[in-house]
Amino acid sequence: MSEPDANAPLGMRGYLRSDGRKGVRNYLIVAYLVECAHHVARKIAQPFEDEGVQLIGFPGCYPSAYAERVMTAVATHPNVGAALLISLGCEEFHRAKLKAAIEASGRPVALLTIQQAGGTAGTIAKGRAWIEAQLPMLSAAPTAPLTLSDLVVGVKCGGSDGLSGVTINPAVGRAVDALIDAGATVMFEETCELIGCETHMAARAKTPELAEALREAVMKADVYYRDLGHGSFGGGNIKYGLSTLEEKSLGAYAKSGSRPIVGILKPGILPPKPGLYLMDTVNDGPVRYGIPNINDTQTIVEMVASGCQLIVFTTGAGSVVGQAVAPVIKGVSNSRVYQRMEGDMDVNGGTIADGVESVEDVGRRVVAAIVSAASGVPTKSEALGHQEFVLSYKTYEPLGPACLPG
Amino acid sequence: MVVLDPADNVGVALADIDAGGRARALDGRVVDALEPIPQGHKIALVDIGAGAEIVRFGMPVGVARAAIAKGRLAHVHNIASRVLNNDEDNYE
Repeated sequence: MSEPDANAPLGMRGYLRSDGRKGVRNYLIVAYLVECAHHVARKIAQPFEDEGVQLIGFPGCYPSAYAERVMTAVATHPNVGAALLISLGCEEFHRAKLKAAIEASGRPVALLTIQQAGGTAGTIAKGRAWIEAQLPMLSAAPTAPLTLSDLVVGVKCGGSDGLSGVTINPAVGRAVDALIDAGATVMFEETCELIGCETHMAARAKTPELAEALREAVMKADVYYRDLGHGSFGGGNIKYGLSTLEEKSLGAYAKSGSRPIVGILKPGILPPKPGLYLMDTVNDGPVRYGIPNINDTQTIVEMVASGCQLIVFTTGAGSVVGQAVAPVIKGVSNSRVYQRMEGDMDVNGGTIADGVESVEDVGRRVVAAIVSAASGVPTKSEALGHQEFVLSYKTYEPLGPACLPG
Repeated sequence: MVVLDPADNVGVALADIDAGGRARALDGRVVDALEPIPQGHKIALVDIGAGAEIVRFGMPVGVARAAIAKGRLAHVHNIASRVLNNDEDNYE
């Protein structure tokens, strides 16, 4: 039995950062600031991939306030202890501004510009040397005790099936309730996968104004995807028994549990206090730059940018994704896929369909998996070296006044 | 089989159900499958008329494209979405 023991004492320790947040990992990130610097950044990071060096980046050459906000938020994320920025030199990313923000957070940071640092080979050598110098300090960093109230957790699903909404998602919902009751912060997302659930969701809002804002966020997603001519529903969902987007929404919504919703976030905005939040993952304004979230990883990155130290990801078909900055705990809806892909799955929710366990039992195991990951035990995807990271172009207006009621 | 809400007119197969197999729900409802129902797929609990809402977990999740007899598989071939085209031809 490789799953964590729900009754094990809390042994969580984290890294205290200058802004008061605590990390559950102490990663060094290597960040490319344009696709042209991606190869160099990957080569720099490669020898250290088992030593907590993680690769992130933004491929675009044109400026983007959204991408710069997300990159800054991820580079100063509590799970990050140091950052190495790799620039080509002629891209429009505001690299000095990003470097200054990381410096201001008290983290070691270096910026290498390929055009100034000896091209590909010279930059790779300089980058690796900088990492070598940082690693001893990173591994010796002091830790402080963590409680569940220090945790910010994002919940997400991908490759859902007809059992997701019956087994693993409701179990994650119970885990979310338990985390909220313990003073933690949780966020759920994908407003386009909440279409049909907006009335029920609005009834959980802390204030009437927030209820209206929640409804509007889902309506915005509905209109945006209609204009786009594409929605978050695909052949994979059909193959495994989901018939409509509304049915998929219903299952996805179950992950949010039953506690009151205290606010709406946009990518890179930090939750001001504990509680349950909805992350608004769809562009503001007219359709621009195409599909808002090109895959599951992009919305995970957005929740990480808003401070999630851990992600709980549920799947029916069998997703394998991890994340570069926040470890991903994987839950699966059915035992068939669990047996086929046990090496990728942290929690099997299929036991509910098998009649072996209750939703509450699996919910407790999800909490135990969170405690285990926050105690430093690598999740399955983390141990396998998964470091997915995607960032593309989007536009957002500032949050409305009703989104974060005091 | 599981029935998630008393108002539901479809149940969800917790395991594969063979044609002719008897599906039982915790709330006591019983239905004989007229065709194979794969795990995670829906089975009609009653005769559902064309244009009627498909109700799962007490919430409408689609509309019957045609009449669906009790015991039949309820899926994209006989359920339409109210919000997004779910024609199978649209997808891989």
